[in-house]
Amino acid sequence: MSDLFSNLWLGFSVAGHPINLGFCLLGALVGTLVGVLPGIGTVATIAMLLPITFGLDPIGALIMLAGIYYGAQYGGSTTSILVNIPGEATSVITCLDGHQMAKQGRAGAALSIAAIGSFFAGCVATVLVAALGEPLTRVALEFGPAEYFALMLLGLIFAVVLAKGSVVKSIAMVTTGLLLSTVGSDIDTGVGRMTLGMPELLDGIGFTNVAMGLFGFAEIIRNLEISSVNREIVESKIKGLMPTRKDLRESAWPIARGTALGSILGILPGGGAVVSSFAAYTLEKRLAKDPKRFGNGAIEGVAAPEAANNAAAQTSFIPLLTLGIPPNAVMALMVGAMTIHGIIPGPQVMTKQPELFWGMIASMWFGNLMLVIINLPLVGVWVRLLRVPYRILFPSIIVFCCIGIYSIDNSPSDVIIAALFGLFGYWLVKHDFEPAPLVLAFVLGPLMEDNLRRAMLIARGDASVFVTRPISAVLIVVALALLTVAVLPMIRKRREEVFVESEN
Amino acid sequence: MAENTKHSPGGGDVFPLRIRAPRDFFGGLVLIALALFALWAASDLSGVSGFSFGPGTVPRLFALLLIVVGAVVAIGGLLNDGPPLESYALRGPAYVVSAIIVFALLIRGAHLGAGIRIPEFGLVIATFLAFMIAVLGGHKIRLVESLVAAAAMTAFCVVLFRYLLQLPFPLWPTF
Repeated sequence: MSDLFSNLWLGFSVAGHPINLGFCLLGALVGTLVGVLPGIGTVATIAMLLPITFGLDPIGALIMLAGIYYGAQYGGSTTSILVNIPGEATSVITCLDGHQMAKQGRAGAALSIAAIGSFFAGCVATVLVAALGEPLTRVALEFGPAEYFALMLLGLIFAVVLAKGSVVKSIAMVTTGLLLSTVGSDIDTGVGRMTLGMPELLDGIGFTNVAMGLFGFAEIIRNLEISSVNREIVESKIKGLMPTRKDLRESAWPIARGTALGSILGILPGGGAVVSSFAAYTLEKRLAKDPKRFGNGAIEGVAAPEAANNAAAQTSFIPLLTLGIPPNAVMALMVGAMTIHGIIPGPQVMTKQPELFWGMIASMWFGNLMLVIINLPLVGVWVRLLRVPYRILFPSIIVFCCIGIYSIDNSPSDVIIAALFGLFGYWLVKHDFEPAPLVLAFVLGPLMEDNLRRAMLIARGDASVFVTRPISAVLIVVALALLTVAVLPMIRKRREEVFVESEN
Repeated sequence: MAENTKHSPGGGDVFPLRIRAPRDFFGGLVLIALALFALWAASDLSGVSGFSFGPGTVPRLFALLLIVVGAVVAIGGLLNDGPPLESYALRGPAYVVSAIIVFALLIRGAHLGAGIRIPEFGLVIATFLAFMIAVLGGHKIRLVESLVAAAAMTAFCVVLFRYLLQLPFPLWPTF
């Protein structure tokens, strides 16, 4: 326990350094900005801003990128409440009751409860990351290639189970991602694989190109199709930011439950902020004495999901920092960011670079505090930003993405690859395929292949190594069980229909 | 199967293989085609030798898996009802992609083969032109507003990337 405090102390001294505080503030502000603007998601933004962090020192860069991530959760809820437009997928659910509250003239209370809930969740999650970091790292150091392979398999299955829509289509996306990740030089022999004779493909398809194409360009192409988005802004003055005593009492338990749920779902691979906000809302509705209030401005419907998405955003750093395995697409980009700075995510980060590990964790607490302090007074500014018309916004995003992609390797062909993935992403949307599992699999692919091949080599070609080693066997059994549970309702189509109905 | 035919509006028994969910059906087919293409592209890679996987094993494994899963998706499209295909917009994607390609070709020039060479235009011109081409993909086009926005965005990017971040971009054309 004293270790935990000395570690956190180290973290706070690193994160409290004025320069790092500056990066934290910058990240939180940019994140809020992005969260407010609909049409640019978190993944696309972090991909877009990766090149900007090149020149920074690694700690500052990662603190800033983390700030963007949780800042976006705050910003998204602001527009959900005031404008009924979710700036981020994570705050879709906040629209339901948040905007109703705003219409009833309680926008201030909704905004402050969202902020308080997020801050509380952020504090709990920070401690949780710190507390779980060390034991998990110790476990991770025991892992051999077979265990790592099994763990990543489990991660992908989780991603499939928790993804929206059809399970089989998610599996198809995971497989597509894995296949695409094998393009490029072979790790053992250096032979170019499936490069079609193009030297540009020898290094593989860059992850940022895929992410920017699927989440950035495809999203823009999709948005252009939907004729002018209706943006009616609630013009009423926001009065009384402070929630009443009753508001606080009513939202205390929902915030606590949302935090707990979000923390758990954040750690699970494939989970993350989106799933947890939906889950928290559903839970509150089930527990409520009068579920009819939900959708008509119930404060629990704002408090719980906002706490949950923020908790999840932070705890999803746990598998990344301890095991080196990104649980979702945003964390996959963090892997990209860390590798650019020469840091290989995994258990060794904590032992070899404790300042980085603990500094990043502590910065999350500072970031959350800053968000509460800066965001509530700045609400007016954020709302005004929504008036920037999309016809100016989207060409700006396009050129910014182009410059960003080009600057990573000074390679024009990367820009063209991203454009192709933009078209591919557009096609995926038309066929109801989710790009998120593809991206996660694309990042895990090379790691999985590497560990699979090493495990097989060590076991002298005996594939039973995956079930004879206990940890690996357990992980594989859990993965198979999960998959079975997920596929069963699809076989009995009726059950799925019942499930869809009960969700509405 | 018998249960599912009940849901289909008439004629399900006469044409048991009617495409009921075209998005899934064609989606699955395209993924199978992608996997077949990958198998062909990986056909020159050696497979397992001794205890070690050759470079070709894992790509082939993933491609075969994709064929199976793609087939399940496509067959699901025959058995379950789903929404119809959505039409594709042409204008938006065409201008967005053209803008991106123009940027890629102009930023530091390119050899197009057959002796055609595009000189290096630099960041300023590439950004400005890409912005203006992208604008054409939108719904309402306001020329003056767009020109001002393009100039402002170009200036912002030059300051941010070239001066603040000190990335080695050529700013102006070098012929």
